[in-house]
Amino acid sequence: MYIAQRILSSLLVIAGSLVLVFAILYVLPGDPTDAMIDPSVATPEMVANLKHQLGVDQPFYIQFTRYISDMVRGDFGNSLLNSEPVLDKILEHFPATLALTAASALVSVAIGLVLGVLSAIHRNGPIDFIARLVGLFGISMPTFWSGILLIVLFSLQLGWFPAMGSNGWKTLVLPALTLGIVGAGFIVRMVRSSMLDIIDEHFMLTLRSKGLSERAVMYRHALRNALIPAVTMIGMLVGEMLAGTVVIETVFSRQGIGRIIGDALMAKDLPVVQGVIFFTALIYVLMNLLVDLSYSIIDPRVRRSA
Amino acid sequence: MNRSRYLRRPFQTSAALLLALTLLLSACASNKGSSNNSNQSAAQQSDTPAAAAEVKQGGVLTYALATSPDSLDPHRSGLAVAVRVIRTIYDSLVVQLPDNSIKPWLATSWEISEDGLSYTFKLRQDVKFQDGTPFNAEAVKYNFDRILDPATKAANAAALLAPYQSSEVIDEYTIKLNLATPSRAFLGNLSQALLGIVSPTAAKKDGDQFGLNPVGTGPFKFVKWEQNAEIQVVKNPDYNWAPELVTNAGAPYLDGITFKIVPEEATRIGSVQSGQVLAAETVPPQNIVALKGDSKVQLLEANTVGLPYTLFFNQEHAPWNDVKARQAVQLAVDVDSIVKTLYLGTYDRAWSPLTPGTFGYDPTLENGVKPDLEKAGALLDEIGWVKGADGIREKDGKKLTLHYVDGTPNREKRNDIAVIIQQQLKALGIAVEVEITKDVRTVVYTNGAYDLYGNSQVNSDPNALYPFYHTTDPNALKSLTRLSDPEIDKLLEQGRVETDDTKRADIYKQIQHYIIDQAVILPIYIFPYTVAADKSVQGLVFDSLGYPLFNGVSISS
Repeated sequence: MYIAQRILSSLLVIAGSLVLVFAILYVLPGDPTDAMIDPSVATPEMVANLKHQLGVDQPFYIQFTRYISDMVRGDFGNSLLNSEPVLDKILEHFPATLALTAASALVSVAIGLVLGVLSAIHRNGPIDFIARLVGLFGISMPTFWSGILLIVLFSLQLGWFPAMGSNGWKTLVLPALTLGIVGAGFIVRMVRSSMLDIIDEHFMLTLRSKGLSERAVMYRHALRNALIPAVTMIGMLVGEMLAGTVVIETVFSRQGIGRIIGDALMAKDLPVVQGVIFFTALIYVLMNLLVDLSYSIIDPRVRRSA
Repeated sequence: MNRSRYLRRPFQTSAALLLALTLLLSACASNKGSSNNSNQSAAQQSDTPAAAAEVKQGGVLTYALATSPDSLDPHRSGLAVAVRVIRTIYDSLVVQLPDNSIKPWLATSWEISEDGLSYTFKLRQDVKFQDGTPFNAEAVKYNFDRILDPATKAANAAALLAPYQSSEVIDEYTIKLNLATPSRAFLGNLSQALLGIVSPTAAKKDGDQFGLNPVGTGPFKFVKWEQNAEIQVVKNPDYNWAPELVTNAGAPYLDGITFKIVPEEATRIGSVQSGQVLAAETVPPQNIVALKGDSKVQLLEANTVGLPYTLFFNQEHAPWNDVKARQAVQLAVDVDSIVKTLYLGTYDRAWSPLTPGTFGYDPTLENGVKPDLEKAGALLDEIGWVKGADGIREKDGKKLTLHYVDGTPNREKRNDIAVIIQQQLKALGIAVEVEITKDVRTVVYTNGAYDLYGNSQVNSDPNALYPFYHTTDPNALKSLTRLSDPEIDKLLEQGRVETDDTKRADIYKQIQHYIIDQAVILPIYIFPYTVAADKSVQGLVFDSLGYPLFNGVSISS
């Protein structure tokens, strides 16, 4: 029942985002012909003819109903710029974005959890200080800047990793690090503060008094309880990371949906924009569904009450 | 302990899942990558040492582009970046040399009728498209009819082809093109890559997907296009019909070219220095300065031809219909310091409505205008605009304002030009309102809501001036200047059809002088197409429009 409810609301979120994006793009000035034909050389008839062929001269409701009815039948339409089927375009780019998002999430969780726990255990010590500094660094550095720094150091100077492309794991290292460190920053702070809350709880005293080792107290009990907010955060971070790929994919010249949506938005290539929004919303919604379900694994109370 | 199991599992499972997913996906992607590499190394092995006596044969040139092409269908593309790739795949009927003469390419000779309304081309008989389709008069007719067909969704190609009307196949290798009005620009336009000849077989088969599977007669054959990543072309071994513009008439020396799309400037240029690509286009001014000291990298430049980046006054709006008001601005704007400040001496300053490479360019206009704030002020005083208390000039209670429109994104730092001019004109007592808009077509072209607006145009013929300075047809879109002077109209009409080159050049000189004397525009800068290349890359040249030609490129070891 709970899952059915969640899926239904997820579908509503996706439908809503499609309508919203369509409306926003319709209201914004300009159309795809701006990029295709130079108004200083073309006659108004040429421009009008091109608009008609692309169907962008039609009123909002006609364009929108046509789009939705095609989409329901599984046809995401063709790019207005070069007639390429939108689905092909997205399928070509999606694996690279998913790989980047997954690798970044891995980096975030790995760095975030380790530093978060260490920082809580060694509260106010030098380790805590370093961990907090890393967290602050991750949160406050803009990725387009840290990305370029990594390229300059590890690719252009040291030549360890390629500066561009999305072929193979080597091209994944620098962008995943750039994006992952942002997420790590959030997770460090979250894990640290929730660990500290738990450490001060009375039941910790009980655990210690019944003779559990400090390791067991920290890792089995404190961390376990601190994980719940952290996992929620990871779910949200995946959304952030999908959004972050728009910048990162450009900086690292990677394929990916971030690239196509950037170009498509500039050119007002509506079918492409809609297709990408649909898939991104789908991933985001799925991710959050997974996070919700994972609570029952981490926290037995959720499982029992459900 | 029961609890410990629960504790570890979520960690391990989710970490393992993420790891597995990452590896799986990068493995999928890397399959592609390794096949690329093997392509390249296979290509490199095919080096023939025997032929390497003079020019090194073989190798793949990696060439980083700044943005992604929109389509590789020349008739549909609207982006200069696409033309760099398109030019490698397609040939044109004729070629334009840097001295602006027109020479044979796919056409061997041509005759122009007395009235200038029909062009009869004799075509080469030994040319084949890359898919085996024979090149002949039918193919040429198909191409031009295709551009006129609205279903093709032709973009700039349609504008270039005007005033073409129809064509007749005379025999297999002779075709007659009929024009609606005579046009001296027509041959030059035919030389442009956007009017390149596509394979009729492939274009019919792929319909509107042709731009993703392009086939032409050019020196390189299309292999694959990974969007936003790279485009691969390989040498067309049968190629034997290169134009006079390049020294290598036969098949290219290179085995192929891989165009990489690298939008980030620092990475694009840095990759040449670190050896990850052999060449990269569009070098930002600050990097040009830095690269000049790099012993491993060479800098190649070609100034684009046509109209320089020009600011047009809208003469429909007072007081800019008054020549004195315009001249005052002309004298108050210090173009030299703008161009030097923003482009660090790497761009040339423009002096005329045409760029130096264009037919009929008048070099006597150079250094003709010098900033003179005092004289500028006197001109404005003369027509009644006097400084008010706040330093802004007024007349009949109205402030002197200038509405300066520019588009986004900030291409070639044009938005910064607006800001500098705003400062410079403040000293003269003009309040400049800068409007940066995404929707240039509506604001500027449809509504005419500007006093000053800047644009440039790559063009092979001085007739490019016509739509900007000729009185516009009441039913057509208005020109950017709104200029309407019967004298200039007459000259522009003569220039369009004059067959004597000396007379024609003279006509355009008169037009250029008028435009600058009357301060119809402010010419600002000439855009150079720049390429940073490893020193091993040799023989890269540019066509008369500034696009790179790879026929004679070789990579020395």
